[in-house]
Amino acid sequence: MDNKKSNQEIDRRDFFKKAAASVTAIAGTSLISSNARADDPAIMHHVPWGQKWGDPVTKNRYGMPSKYEHNVLRRNTKLLASGNFRASIAVTPIQESMGIITPNGLFFSRSHGGVAHVDPAEYRLMIHGLIEKPIVLTLEQLKRYPSVTRTHFIECPANGGQEWRGPQFNSVQFAKGFMSSAEWTGTYLKTILADLGVKKEALWMLAEGSDSSEMGRTIPIDKVWDDAMIVWGQNGEALRPEQGYPVRILLPGWEGNLCVKWLKRLEFSTEPWYCKEETSKYTDLKPTGKAIQHFYANEVNSTVTSPSPEIDWTSLRDGDIVEIQGLAWSGMGTITGVDLSFDGGRNYIKADLKGLVLPKSWTRWSYMHTYKKGEKLLLTSRAMDDAGYIQPTIDQEVGVMGVEAVYHRNAVETWEVTETGKINHVEIRTMKEVKDA
Amino acid sequence: MLKFNKKLILSASTAAALAVLTAGCMGGSASTSNTTTEVNGKATIDGGSTYPVMNGKTGPYYVNPQVAADAPKINNGRVPTANELAAWNTDIMPDGTGLPEGSGTADEGSDIYDAKCVACHGDFGSGGGGYPSLSKGNAYDLQKTLTNNRWKDPEADGPVREFGSYWPQASTLFWYIKDGMPHPFTKSLTDDEVYSLVAYILNINEMKIDGVDVDDDYVLNREKFLKIKMPNRDGFEPNIDGPDALNDVRAYYANPTNFGAQNLKKGAVRCMTNCQKETARTIYIKNGGIKDFLPPMSDVRSLPKEKKVAVDAAAVYKNTCEMCHGNGVGPGLGAKSDWAPYLADGIDSVYKKGIHGTDGGMPAKGGSSLSDADFKTVVDYLINGK
Ligand code: HEC
Ligand code: HEC
Repeated sequence: MDNKKSNQEIDRRDFFKKAAASVTAIAGTSLISSNARADDPAIMHHVPWGQKWGDPVTKNRYGMPSKYEHNVLRRNTKLLASGNFRASIAVTPIQESMGIITPNGLFFSRSHGGVAHVDPAEYRLMIHGLIEKPIVLTLEQLKRYPSVTRTHFIECPANGGQEWRGPQFNSVQFAKGFMSSAEWTGTYLKTILADLGVKKEALWMLAEGSDSSEMGRTIPIDKVWDDAMIVWGQNGEALRPEQGYPVRILLPGWEGNLCVKWLKRLEFSTEPWYCKEETSKYTDLKPTGKAIQHFYANEVNSTVTSPSPEIDWTSLRDGDIVEIQGLAWSGMGTITGVDLSFDGGRNYIKADLKGLVLPKSWTRWSYMHTYKKGEKLLLTSRAMDDAGYIQPTIDQEVGVMGVEAVYHRNAVETWEVTETGKINHVEIRTMKEVKDA
Repeated sequence: MLKFNKKLILSASTAAALAVLTAGCMGGSASTSNTTTEVNGKATIDGGSTYPVMNGKTGPYYVNPQVAADAPKINNGRVPTANELAAWNTDIMPDGTGLPEGSGTADEGSDIYDAKCVACHGDFGSGGGGYPSLSKGNAYDLQKTLTNNRWKDPEADGPVREFGSYWPQASTLFWYIKDGMPHPFTKSLTDDEVYSLVAYILNINEMKIDGVDVDDDYVLNREKFLKIKMPNRDGFEPNIDGPDALNDVRAYYANPTNFGAQNLKKGAVRCMTNCQKETARTIYIKNGGIKDFLPPMSDVRSLPKEKKVAVDAAAVYKNTCEMCHGNGVGPGLGAKSDWAPYLADGIDSVYKKGIHGTDGGMPAKGGSSLSDADFKTVVDYLINGK
């Protein structure tokens, strides 16, 4: 081994250039003869971390990602921010996501008055209104209810909502990253309510946060008795402040906005509340001039995450076998299948699901493709769920919803693969182009 | 899923509750799948699947059978006091529940608006810079723009969704201003101030109450507030009011054509060939699209070269301090006379007060998360204007 060079920076780019040259020299074969290549300095030299001590176990009492992962970040854009990033969103790099869980530090962050920092000692949950026995719980008392743990995504219904009138983001992080997924721990709301007794006239429940926007939403009683949870755990630890520490409500599959964070109060009533976030926003205006209100579930959806504008195919060689993979999800059920098209949704073949397939959860799908250098493709995925829903074409969805709905857009999405392997976000549709899309 | 609890049957006998609970008891039913889109013969509220407990599981998850009917009540917590309820139960409903007594005029509202709202929401509620507008003109005229759809006619103006033209209920406005505004000092307005601001917002939306214009001297009070009829009151579906509301919602989401969905169990087909119209074509992103991503998009792993970057004081001022200091709230940028009284105790006192915030309206570090050193650099810039 070459000790002298061991601490020098290895010029990996130079190495790969040489390696690539030797590969093209032996076109058509993927088994490269051993003496046709330069030696890889990453193998030939001692690496710095192999020759000195690492950190003591006492160093990071709470572990951090490798410093090399410094670009794997939540991102935001001014165009999706009210003023100074307090009523705003930062989205998840789903191009870097693995499996069906988002690490807590990358979970998308959306708030209406900034991220609140709640002191758990002063945390109270009040449950009242049309209840036989109204109560106040401390955090400790709340956590004494029997716990359940469930894996669910949370999605902002504006995910993909910038693209009703034409594609805008050449990025899967921004086109589809208004969502994340976690394993949540809490208790079923119905377990608490069974003890308290809900009066029979109660049709609606207000969930209200304690943050500076006092974010509230009206929830129909059906969901309360079905799978609504009050959660305090996220991927094995306490909720992050961005996700509502110490307690939020989780309505599996439903709009992220309904899953009120920093939860302080639940009130039961015969009539709905008409909160700001269920009138001014989170309503879908149709071409009839009527808007859908109380649009609860995030509908069946999917995306190709690899390739994507962020993870392109420019380094692929002719004949390389590459995995096309992505996510499918439905707030209305369990994913039953995903179809994949290479021509923008004109013709489809079946892709395969992989890993755990859970209700109202991210589901991974995959297809092995043999890449032809210079091929031009239009990759479109289309998911189905066990309630029977299948993603519409853009024309089908826009035919009913028009292009001003903002929320709940789940038409199929297409990546163009160019001759050079670059990936562009495009839309396949018959509608006229919109001038200021 | 809980099994039957006798107490619960007596008290919580909403159809939905019974339905779900009943389904939960039918563990031995013939169905092989534990998925359903109906609960006790009624469609699910969202048109989706539900997973009743069958054979000890909901979907793929096991449930603890002891968390059931006959389990003793857990009985945590305590009953809230009347004062506690009053302190937190401050929501305001369309029928006036929770709406306090009080009054104010649009004129008074205009003054409060100029002091506490205009910096973000703009002159006469025009909005901008990412802050929502509170009016774009006559609410009744603008309500008619809601059928504008830039699909049918790309040249047309889009729909205007402001308070006046779009919101179904005025109670929402009162409640939100009282609890959620103004940033960054929410829950700081008196009821009279909120009445004044609401009167002002009705005024700039050119709205009427009971046929009467809400002009500058119009005195808005609780009684008149409850007579407000929003122009777009009937602009929403499904119906959510009254005792039948949940049936209306269930029926709405049982029909996929209401919300642009395709359902294979309700007539849609899983098309595998020739699934696009002949006329479908590829639409590209125009003018580069939106790409001002923060931080910029990158998948580079190697570490950036270490260099200590000085804080960009002008940028911090623009993004964080200007909304107050540039609007007459707090001493102005480079305004010597404004700063003189603050500097009387010396610059260190100014730094210190800026870092900790003041009762006079300066939030700690202006609401920024700058280091002390960087904050001081910005203060220097703010005082000297350069
Ligand atoms: C520091 C900036 C700031 C100030 C000052 C401010 N607001 Fe706001 N306001 C906002 C932001 C940001 C939103 C959007 C919040 C969201 O997205 O949830 C908003 C939303 C609103 C809305 C809802 C608008 C809609 O169409 O959804 C109303 C009404 C409102 N503000 C009224 C007021 C009033 C009245 C005042 C003065 C008492 C005020 N605001 C002061 C920043 C401000
Ligand atoms: C929400 C409004 C607001 C914002 C945002 C704000 N300020 Fe202020 N600031 C004020 C007000 C009001 C005063 C006057 C306070 C007083 O008289 O007590 C003030 C006073 C100050 C003072 C003098 C403190 C003293 O009493 O000596 C400093 C220094 C200052 N601001 C710096 C900043 C800087 C730097 C920023 C941005 C990073 C900033 N402020 C952002 C409202 C604001």
